[in-house]
Amino acid sequence: MSNLPEAENTPAAEDFTALSFKNVKFWYPESQAPAVNGVSFSVKKGEFVSVIGHNGSGKSTLARLICGLLEADEGSINVWGIELAGQKNLFEVRRHTGIVFQNPDNQMVASIVEDDVAFGPENLGVEREEIGRRIEQSLAAVGMSEYRHATPTRLSDGQKQRIAVAGVLAIRPDILILDESTAMLDPKGRREVIEVVRRLNREEGMTILLITHFMEEALLAERTIVMNRGEIVMQGTPQDIFENGEALLTYNLDLPEITRIADMLRSRGIDTPPCLRPEELAASISACAAARGLTSLSSPRVSPDEGAKSGDWDIDIRDLTFTYSAGSPFASQALKGIDLHIGEGEFFGIIGHTGSGKSTLIQHLNALIKLPQANKKYKPKKPAKGQNPPVMPRLTVGRYNLADKKCDFLSLRADVGMVFQYPEYQLFAESVFEDVAFGLKNFNKGLSPEEVKERVYAAVRAVGLDPAEICEKSPFDLSGGQKRRVAIAGVIVTRPKILILDEPAAGLDPLGKREIMELLHSLHSEWCKTVIIVSHDMDEIACNCTRACVVSEGRIFDCATPHDLFARYDELLSLGLDVPLTAKLCRILKEDGIDIDCDYTPQGFVSAVAAAFEGGERRA
Amino acid sequence: MLKDVTFGQYYPAQSFAHSLDPRLKILMLIAYIVALFVAKTFYGLALCALFVVAAVFISRVPFGSVLRSVKGILFLLIFTALLNLFLHTGEHLLVEWGIIHIYLEGVLFAVFLMFRLIFLVLGSALLTLTTTPVSLTDGLESLLKPLKYIKFPVHALALIMSIALRFIPTLMDETNRIISAQKARGADFETGNLVKRVKAIIPILIPLLISAFRRAEELGDAMDARCYTNSPNRTKYKKLVFGWRDAVAALVAALLIAGVVLFNVYAYDICPAIYSYVVML
Repeated sequence: MSNLPEAENTPAAEDFTALSFKNVKFWYPESQAPAVNGVSFSVKKGEFVSVIGHNGSGKSTLARLICGLLEADEGSINVWGIELAGQKNLFEVRRHTGIVFQNPDNQMVASIVEDDVAFGPENLGVEREEIGRRIEQSLAAVGMSEYRHATPTRLSDGQKQRIAVAGVLAIRPDILILDESTAMLDPKGRREVIEVVRRLNREEGMTILLITHFMEEALLAERTIVMNRGEIVMQGTPQDIFENGEALLTYNLDLPEITRIADMLRSRGIDTPPCLRPEELAASISACAAARGLTSLSSPRVSPDEGAKSGDWDIDIRDLTFTYSAGSPFASQALKGIDLHIGEGEFFGIIGHTGSGKSTLIQHLNALIKLPQANKKYKPKKPAKGQNPPVMPRLTVGRYNLADKKCDFLSLRADVGMVFQYPEYQLFAESVFEDVAFGLKNFNKGLSPEEVKERVYAAVRAVGLDPAEICEKSPFDLSGGQKRRVAIAGVIVTRPKILILDEPAAGLDPLGKREIMELLHSLHSEWCKTVIIVSHDMDEIACNCTRACVVSEGRIFDCATPHDLFARYDELLSLGLDVPLTAKLCRILKEDGIDIDCDYTPQGFVSAVAAAFEGGERRA
Repeated sequence: MLKDVTFGQYYPAQSFAHSLDPRLKILMLIAYIVALFVAKTFYGLALCALFVVAAVFISRVPFGSVLRSVKGILFLLIFTALLNLFLHTGEHLLVEWGIIHIYLEGVLFAVFLMFRLIFLVLGSALLTLTTTPVSLTDGLESLLKPLKYIKFPVHALALIMSIALRFIPTLMDETNRIISAQKARGADFETGNLVKRVKAIIPILIPLLISAFRRAEELGDAMDARCYTNSPNRTKYKKLVFGWRDAVAALVAALLIAGVVLFNVYAYDICPAIYSYVVML
């Protein structure tokens, strides 16, 4: 690090090997196949390397081997010139490596930021004044200096993760490892953390090993390593790796969206070379137009929004406000007047930052949070003289009036299924069957065992699992993806008319994400009338939702079709939200005089571009 | 949202009492408790009352918040008072009704004990109201330091307390989330008999335990990776510094004990006429 004094034993040579693996193998106890199988690679000092691979490919095991949290069964690992052998050099090696894990909550030992950052140096026996300096420098490096005396639990996840990075930096490591450190963050938090990592690499020359599921993050590295089943299967510049899309598919990885769009464009006769950044792709589309002598292209307008659908199971929300800990010094207003209509049959998206109020909003829909006037003890207040009575929120879901004390809230919850974030963490029963049957038995007390069995099996089949094979297993013996499916089955088993899912794809690898979205579409067409998803992933919203709303600071910013919503990309970006890749492309193309109007799905975008080219050629 | 509420009953304010060294506050509380138990007279009790009321005033914590702590021991208070009312014998019989005899001495003694308990709770509440759990932990660790010479793992104990404090809000959040999720699946925690309600806790308890173990494992890894050792060479960043305010407060605490003892010894000389109604033990 430039502004920090170098550790005494830091070799200065530029081509110094920071890290090397030689034919390393590792088995988890009681497993047949090795988690890491004969891996060899090396990383130079100051290099920025990204590691990608499907869930279970061994990339996290790799990280744990480097800092000696796991011990290799075969082969040798050399970290900063130190041979990692058994327990001997463990402490030495850990002084040179810092690792940031996935869950920001589970890495902090203290209730005050500076105490947590001090933990590492305290362990090393650094003297007090020096610890103070390190806290200052580390917090400055992650841009969190003003939070030195704050309580971590009150920070956003992105901020917490930056504190975790600071805690690691205070050890003065030479190699920084990020083990899916951004997987649980929203796009804003992700940008914050990645920005810090890039700066450390560029300005301080820190060696970085970034393990990630996000293609955009992997791209930032100088070199990318692809892992599959414990082996390194590809290695090279991100360009080389991601342009070789076919190979990625065979390693259970998804193609980057941009590669997919470029491929589709090529098949429509628009010759775009493989590329990785939206700017490059937009530039090559423009260049293609210019080469054909086409100027000021525009695609046919998309037909206007047909408006929200309606049916027996509409959701109507009027004037919804909600304040947490009302009347206490800690009161915070989460919802500040929400008006929203979600029609029967929609695939609806809710977008917003962590803390925007979207979780509070959806918990009203199945009365986990009740309207004030629906509480048993509620008595309407007489308005003071000369004042209008306060506006009470109204909320109806199908035939249920949630403002009514006498509303049957239990059967409402059977009709409005709610899948929380990371639903697999709520599994509890001894067998999958019992867990899935839990809700069913709560809602329908009089079912015969045969009926229960029939309906549980149907639900398990609906989430794409084989009941005969899985029902008797313990839910804790399943893989991550299977657990999530079982958890979803436990909600849809009551055949809800409306299914609400909070971040259904969170924490999954790209292929897992795609499978879950496919599952939701099949549920939408065969099982439930309306599906509502809460998501940070704009591409996910654009590709799947009929309509979506953006919640920002307790208010609805906009509620429209993806076409109308994402056309306001500049405003969305200024709210700190992301926009779909296709919207980014449209935005750049517009500056080049190519006006693309589309529904912001990749297919829609490609068709619109092709149509614009055809239109231009006809005129020419 | 639970996470927005500071854990414990800490009342955030800027005051002399808040800024005192936590070690001193703990020691003062001990001194105050000793004084309460050493006091044999209403004079001594009154001195303790003066001390605690002054302390509440200085701390800028509303009296209501401090008094609320008494609510928790209301049952104990009434029980103790009644017991002494009926069992304490003396010379001045006030009420005789069947087997019930109430003496004036009994009434005075019951009142004495009640106030002793109330002041005890007020003092302890004031400590937790003006000191964050974190600095309480720091103070305890520092006070227990001498124990390390008899191989008592003071540092490990402090770390355990610190981690426990750190994870209470996180686990409370998690509990709420699990409760909501199971409620959404029709779980009912509010009705039914005791057996039914205990059974209803299982779908909350098991996921919570599993999550706590998972968190513990991840935290262990994160601590290991940050070079955690339990070696004596560990240093400590946070250092508690004793300032002039602390000296003043220590002096006041010493005066309190001295005063109480003096009242015990010279109670007769102050006013011989009421001596027997003032001295309780």
